[in-house]
Amino acid sequence: MSVTSKKSLTFPGGIHPPDKKSLTVDSKIHTGFTPKEVAVLLSQHIGAVCEPLVSKGALVQAGQKIGDCEAFVSAPIHSPVTGKVKEIALRPHVVMGRSMAIVIETLPAHPVKRGCVQINEEFDINKYSVEKICEVVREAGLVGMGGAGFPTRVKIEPNPRLPKTTMIVNGCECEPYITCDYQVMLEWTKQIIIGIKLAKKASGCSEVFIGIEDNKPRAIEMMETVLGSLGADGIEIVPVKTKYPQGGERQLIRSILKKNVPTGGIPPMIGVLVLNVATCAAIAEAVVANVPLTHRVVTVTGEAIAEPGNYYVPIGTSLETLLEVCGGVTQKSARVIMGGPMMGFAVADLTTPTTKTSGCILVITKEQMGKAKFERRQTACIRCGRCLEVCPENLNPTKIAHAVKNNMMDVAKSYYINACIECGCCSYICPANIELTGHIKTGKISLARQKKKVP
Amino acid sequence: MLTDITVSFAPHISKKHSTRSVMLDVIIGLAPAMIAAVIFFRLYAITLVATCVISCMATEGICNLIRKKPNTLDDLSAVITGIILAFSIPPAFPLWAAIVGSVFSIAIGKMVFGGLGANIFNPAMVGRAFLTASFGMMMATWTVPGTIDPNMPQIAASENAVDVRTQASPLAYSKNAQKAQYGARELNESVGDIFLGNVGGCLGETSALALLIGGIYLLIRKTISFHIPVAVLLSTFIFSGIAYLINSDYYASPLYHLSSGGLFIGAFFIATDPVTAPLTRRGMWLFGFGVGTITMLVRIFGSFPEGMMYSILLMNAVTPLIDRMFKRVPAGGLPSAR
Repeated sequence: MSVTSKKSLTFPGGIHPPDKKSLTVDSKIHTGFTPKEVAVLLSQHIGAVCEPLVSKGALVQAGQKIGDCEAFVSAPIHSPVTGKVKEIALRPHVVMGRSMAIVIETLPAHPVKRGCVQINEEFDINKYSVEKICEVVREAGLVGMGGAGFPTRVKIEPNPRLPKTTMIVNGCECEPYITCDYQVMLEWTKQIIIGIKLAKKASGCSEVFIGIEDNKPRAIEMMETVLGSLGADGIEIVPVKTKYPQGGERQLIRSILKKNVPTGGIPPMIGVLVLNVATCAAIAEAVVANVPLTHRVVTVTGEAIAEPGNYYVPIGTSLETLLEVCGGVTQKSARVIMGGPMMGFAVADLTTPTTKTSGCILVITKEQMGKAKFERRQTACIRCGRCLEVCPENLNPTKIAHAVKNNMMDVAKSYYINACIECGCCSYICPANIELTGHIKTGKISLARQKKKVP
Repeated sequence: MLTDITVSFAPHISKKHSTRSVMLDVIIGLAPAMIAAVIFFRLYAITLVATCVISCMATEGICNLIRKKPNTLDDLSAVITGIILAFSIPPAFPLWAAIVGSVFSIAIGKMVFGGLGANIFNPAMVGRAFLTASFGMMMATWTVPGTIDPNMPQIAASENAVDVRTQASPLAYSKNAQKAQYGARELNESVGDIFLGNVGGCLGETSALALLIGGIYLLIRKTISFHIPVAVLLSTFIFSGIAYLINSDYYASPLYHLSSGGLFIGAFFIATDPVTAPLTRRGMWLFGFGVGTITMLVRIFGSFPEGMMYSILLMNAVTPLIDRMFKRVPAGGLPSAR
């Protein structure tokens, strides 16, 4: 099946926000920064929360496993630094509010200067068996680094009930401002390709499509060059149309394969596996060099940052420390966002540590947000239908949001509230500035509470 | 140093437009028709539009005061209601009656439902319906354009005063032609003038050309989608085409019907009022075909010469049903039964 012949691969709906990537697009990945203290959260992924394996006062080595869990859908955590466990205490968590974290004080004698592990030796896929890849991927604590944080082992492990045939590698990075995946594609191309080959073998997929938005021609070229030198072997690079949310897995599958993941379902139901490029690089690191996931590339950007750029950051560094490294915030009043401007979470407490899934720290001000958005001024819905037009899941956002607002959950359900992917297109486009996505999220949580799925 | 942190739901950026800018676009879209109205009806156009706009805004302001709600005048929707109402009444309409119509439009057509976004019917059309029911004679008194057209047959022309010479609107004339069973052929030859607007009729409705320019502006700016206007014009064309094919001597041609009366202002500016039109595309098609078909039913079979207002009001009434009929299905298909 050839998909490159089609001109522009896209999906219905979506928006074109100003991409603002020029702030950090030429920023090489800065390595070699060690914070004084890291707080490694015990819950950095979807699934069961880890149990700490070390106690207060213990000495830990860089890369040592410090938390694990027996549950199937879970991933262990590792210490990114060599140091002493200061305490095991609650720390702010962007999604959950607060979560237990292992706080480690770095020993000054052991600064860890680490970049991505370079793989220089000849790569031979036959050295690694499927079982070994899956086992190492779990032990290294790999989770999806695109944002959701689903444990990678659960994704790539062959499942006889839902056999996977196609793998899609997500290099879209459709959110404005973020460039971390782009830099990873430029600098660590070899690791990505090796990671893809390993994941392909482990999952048993026969074809691989690497989806990259067509506003990143350098990344496409670089990936193609390295892919050529390592052997394509059923792997194909497909440029997709630049549009938000092209990097959403349901949208990417729709663009490339022209297939729909069932509502409420997951990609394996149609035999598809979606992995982020950064995850693929981490797979290669873990399997070939046996290094666990303790660092990741974070784009620190926004108009209110003195020196925006891409930084290779130990997981667990607090935002405060990270912002200091980037020259601090130049404005008095700003919004600090963990993630991109479309789906990221606004942070109120700067001691919040970064996690395996935080690819971007964004600090923007009133000017970038727009005055109405900043002041949260809303006017009445004029039923203009723009939200329906941009909804990539073909829903009726205004109807759902107003049903939730008026506490009519049955109506919200009848308009398929749970099919919402929370991409934020409707809120972005709304001329009345109504927080449609916010209402829908609230509705989804209260529905889940009714079913007693979350506390 | 960062001292002031704000939080809210994602997304944290939004497109730089507002309800106000959308409404402003519509006003710009109405500007060509305004210019045409000034050319054809001179001072009448300016006084009537100013009267309607000011009384609509005043009514909205007073209603907000009574309801103890924040001021909503800056969203400019009252201005549009005023302009459209002024455009859809005869040029020499008494100003006191225009004020009554404006007050009714805003107070009963919009504010009693809860203001912008909550009204069921298009406020300007509610006001016009009220005026038609209350002052039927005044609503059918058409002024001859300032650029007097000698070709247009003048019916019931009065020579009492120079500036209130009246004549029939093209549609009234075609209705008479139909009733009196005399030919519609000479009507069909005047299509050019009707398209330009050089005829008697409501203030802003006469120039189909100016309205088309404004409508195309709205389409380019993506303020409206093409579905409703195309559906209205297409259904009108088909329906009048059928009538014309059956008896071309008796019925006016499709082009005559398309360019006369309130068809263009209705198709581009009134039926597309987002508040009272369906949300989904398929719903918009149905809505547009409904508007066009009912208009032609009234024009051909009804006792009124023009049916745009009634067809829009009737379709406004069924908009919630249309929305329920064409419910969107999620892209991933219906969720499996839980």
